[in-house]
Amino acid sequence: MNEDDLAAMKKRVQRLVYMAAGGKIQEEDLGHHDTDLRTIGLDSLGYLNLLEGLERTFGVSIDLDQEEDHSFLHTIDNIVRHLLARRGEAA
Amino acid sequence: MSGRSIIRDALRDCLDRHRRRPAVAGGSEALSYEELGRRIEAAAPLLPAGHVGFCLANRPEYVILYFATLVAGHLPLLLDANFNTGEIEAIRGDCGLDALVMERTKAETLDLPGKGEPIPYGDEVVVLPLARDAGPAFAPRPDTEVCRFTSGTTGRPKCLEFSGHAVVSAARNWVLGTAMTVDDRTLCLAALSNGLAFNTSLLSTFLAGGELCFLKGVPLTRPVARRIAESGITRLVAFPTLYRNFAAPGGPDPSLLAGLKHAISAGAPLWPDVREEFRALYGLDISDYYGIAETGPCTFERDADHHAGLGQPLPGVEIRIAPGAEDAPGTGEVLVRTASMTSGYLNHPGLFEARVDAEGFYHSGDRGRMIDGRLHLVGRTQDHINVAGRKIDPTEIIAVVSALDGVADAVAFPDEDLNREALVHLVVVASTQEVTRSAVAEACRARLAPYKVPGRISFVQEIPRNGIGKPRIALLREQLGTRKETVA
Repeated sequence: MNEDDLAAMKKRVQRLVYMAAGGKIQEEDLGHHDTDLRTIGLDSLGYLNLLEGLERTFGVSIDLDQEEDHSFLHTIDNIVRHLLARRGEAA
Repeated sequence: MSGRSIIRDALRDCLDRHRRRPAVAGGSEALSYEELGRRIEAAAPLLPAGHVGFCLANRPEYVILYFATLVAGHLPLLLDANFNTGEIEAIRGDCGLDALVMERTKAETLDLPGKGEPIPYGDEVVVLPLARDAGPAFAPRPDTEVCRFTSGTTGRPKCLEFSGHAVVSAARNWVLGTAMTVDDRTLCLAALSNGLAFNTSLLSTFLAGGELCFLKGVPLTRPVARRIAESGITRLVAFPTLYRNFAAPGGPDPSLLAGLKHAISAGAPLWPDVREEFRALYGLDISDYYGIAETGPCTFERDADHHAGLGQPLPGVEIRIAPGAEDAPGTGEVLVRTASMTSGYLNHPGLFEARVDAEGFYHSGDRGRMIDGRLHLVGRTQDHINVAGRKIDPTEIIAVVSALDGVADAVAFPDEDLNREALVHLVVVASTQEVTRSAVAEACRARLAPYKVPGRISFVQEIPRNGIGKPRIALLREQLGTRKETVA
């Protein structure tokens, strides 16, 4: 994946996080893709919406019980890395 | 609790009558009534005597240990699994906690004085004994068999006491009113500490001889739909957000829900368009039941072709509408009398009693009207904020924020996010520049359970108040609506 595609994918995930949080997180707070989403207010309902959004947008199935480490959901960078790994691509 | 337990006796009757039938399923566990009974009896001696707090997500172990607590003659207190350490400590001080049932990983990180050595129950659950330095501030009534919690002020959840008679009445009336049978398999996705799940799933399923099922993991629509299809689920007990996600574009294949007979939503109001879209997609009406933490379930719509309102009163439930001076004709405060009412708040003596009139009707604070025998709500008279089915007292949030240096005034009221989910909107008057949105949010996150943390924080120069000092919320909303740059 080239730099532009990677940046576009991060933007899509950023938008999904914003929508999942129902606007409770500021757009500017999501601009730093290494920010821990839990510290800026993504709550359990937000994560529920985000997982639904990721599944439907990227066509992946995310089963948290099968994932020992949930840190892949903590930042936008981590989410993108996880999605790419699921597709067999490198970030 | 006295030696006799009405709930325990009712359960034993179910276990005897339905021995071979499936009782509970979740994760890798699937227990018949006979196996459930054996597991309950075996678990009872593991539990420390006294008050056993449950701080656990839905799973078969919850059911086993809850009934084991009753069989052992102890008192179960069903805490919200999201309660933070401060809230657990407050409950411990008020009501007494001799043990906590929780996930092993959470018990390891819980910072509570007097923690004993965890007693493992399976691979993931432990019973964590707690030492008591002093007796609790309040003693439960002799006939109290279960305690649940609702939001209180200043971080002290209010403890609702329920007699065995009240719990069994709620379950029996739900079975009768919703025509629950041995063929019903209920998938319960709402937390068992919540009145919705507790009353519609926990004992009622067993009274009917049905099966209670849980989903391991996050309740996303695809795994939920798969579980409904694979396990032959007939009743889904869930919350509005899940139904909204089902109704959104790209949802699961409708054929997976073909066996579902009842989709029950509660905890928060269901959006009318979601109800319509769900019906259009899946051919099933969502039953938007009405219940109150203090009274138990109140209504249910039995007629699949009737789509307006919150249903008819359940058996054993009486509803009156008490018109106020400013109410439209036929509209007024909803008063409820049921056999499943709480006995009172353990840690707030007199508070519940003050809201029950001479005829035993509880004054709900909700406003509504009856149309064609169905309850229709039109609003609330109370100040509580309902977020995902959890009632939040705004004074608790204001107390946390007002303790910060530089906060001159604050008010909290209900609002909605972009997804129309309810949230707490906190408005602050700051006297110094150090009081920032992130500082306020951080303070709230440190001291409040996650669901109580304001979803929106705004700053204003002054909070408009009326002659007796009450905030003028409508005017404030109007002001904030015209000054969007100040809205976080």
